[in-house]
Amino acid sequence: MICTGCSCLCEDVELRDGKVMHACRIGASMILNRNVARARATVEGKETDIDTAIDRATEILKDSEGVLIYGLNYTTVEAQRIALKLAEKLSAGVDNGLRYDLPKKVVEGSVRTTTLEDVRDYAYVIMFWRFDAHNEMPRLMSRTYYARGKKRQRGHEEDRFLAVVDVRKSHTAILAKKNAVFVEYYDGIVEDFVSAMGGGLARREVLKVVGELKKSEFNVVFTKEFLPFLNDFGYTVPAIPQTNAMGFYEVFGGRREIDRFDTILVVGDDPINDLPFDTLRGKRMIVIDPKLSFASKSADVVIPSAISGLESGGTMLRCDLKEVELKPEFKLEFDDAKILRRILEGL
Amino acid sequence: MDVYRLLPKTNCRMCGEQTCMSFAFKLIKREKKLEDCKPLFEPEFEENRKRLEEMLKVVEKATETGLVVNEDLCIGCGNCVVVCPVHVYEDPEGAGSGYGIRLERPILRVEDGVVRVVDVSLCRRYKEKTICVACRENCPTSAIAFLEEL
Repeated sequence: MICTGCSCLCEDVELRDGKVMHACRIGASMILNRNVARARATVEGKETDIDTAIDRATEILKDSEGVLIYGLNYTTVEAQRIALKLAEKLSAGVDNGLRYDLPKKVVEGSVRTTTLEDVRDYAYVIMFWRFDAHNEMPRLMSRTYYARGKKRQRGHEEDRFLAVVDVRKSHTAILAKKNAVFVEYYDGIVEDFVSAMGGGLARREVLKVVGELKKSEFNVVFTKEFLPFLNDFGYTVPAIPQTNAMGFYEVFGGRREIDRFDTILVVGDDPINDLPFDTLRGKRMIVIDPKLSFASKSADVVIPSAISGLESGGTMLRCDLKEVELKPEFKLEFDDAKILRRILEGL
Repeated sequence: MDVYRLLPKTNCRMCGEQTCMSFAFKLIKREKKLEDCKPLFEPEFEENRKRLEEMLKVVEKATETGLVVNEDLCIGCGNCVVVCPVHVYEDPEGAGSGYGIRLERPILRVEDGVVRVVDVSLCRRYKEKTICVACRENCPTSAIAFLEEL
């Protein structure tokens, strides 16, 4: 199956005799705790059936004067496309809760990107810029830096150079040992990189990283931020761990702001956890989520859905924009796409 | 040495060894048991015995190559599976290329989100007695250790 624990979308995960094989702790936990804390269909706090909940959600959306669609990071591209139609019909705002500027530039094509397979096969310098891979996308390093590729057969210590830039010695930074460098983040480090790449002065560690760039044509940065030197460095892979956040940027192009809204439609996320408390005061809330959350506990309508990738199919975009067809192990009738389509048809 | 310090250090030979030092080595290699040291079970060594029992719990968990995995610390990143030179040689398309190991009986495999020791008989430390520490060196959370370093 395809693991939808993070945006690595690992395709080698298997279920064998009740055990989850090869998945990291995030993916294994998602699969093993499938039936823990499941959301139930409710309207105004009272349990009901899913059809009634969908009908009530449609009524609320019809009556509203402004709608914000929130979340959509953990659902399929198909559901995101229906959400786009829904947003157009309702003139709704759309927000996925992320505030990174890099993914938008990657989708537009102004920052060069590459696939994880090519990173494994060809990359020499691999830089993790303020991104702790082991806590956000645990298998990313074993699938790229540590793996042996077509042109990188001699292993990471000889055939690759690792650079980790971070504010602290993170789990990823600890692994910067042989043929590697850890650069502690400091004010002016971006300017130093720009200067070093133009042949100017910079701190010694920065010069070391830039010096290594000349040894190969294929170098990669994993980061969440847009940095002015990315295209000079080589390729960039947006390190956004939210499973299908890249699909969101591909479908919507970015956030769509709205001045005022009185109803919020949440798809697989938790705005009560993410947004300032007062933002949602007095607003009506509809939540589509497989699991219980703060939002689903205080929502007007809760519509339980299938876990994308595990209980329902579709496609998702990996962090490097590669399209991945999901192969669900279980089957639940109502997934995000079906629920959103029913709401759209009811409007 | 930590094990030796907690022993009676009288070289009484009741365990069948010439010295307490050699008994300490055999304890770690699991060739002797704590019960073989009779004086240790006298009241004056009770505290030492308890500490030794605590220390040797780790030894019990260790494999024949001295590999100890602390599953509580492991995050299942799979670095150890991918960097293991034996895995790369035996399974170049799987673990060698960054995917899950495809061998039926590998040395290490990630199961339920944590790494488990499946079969150490392939390990270079076991067969060739090479001091290989590739798996431990590339573990970000120090979940892998070898007995000689503990």
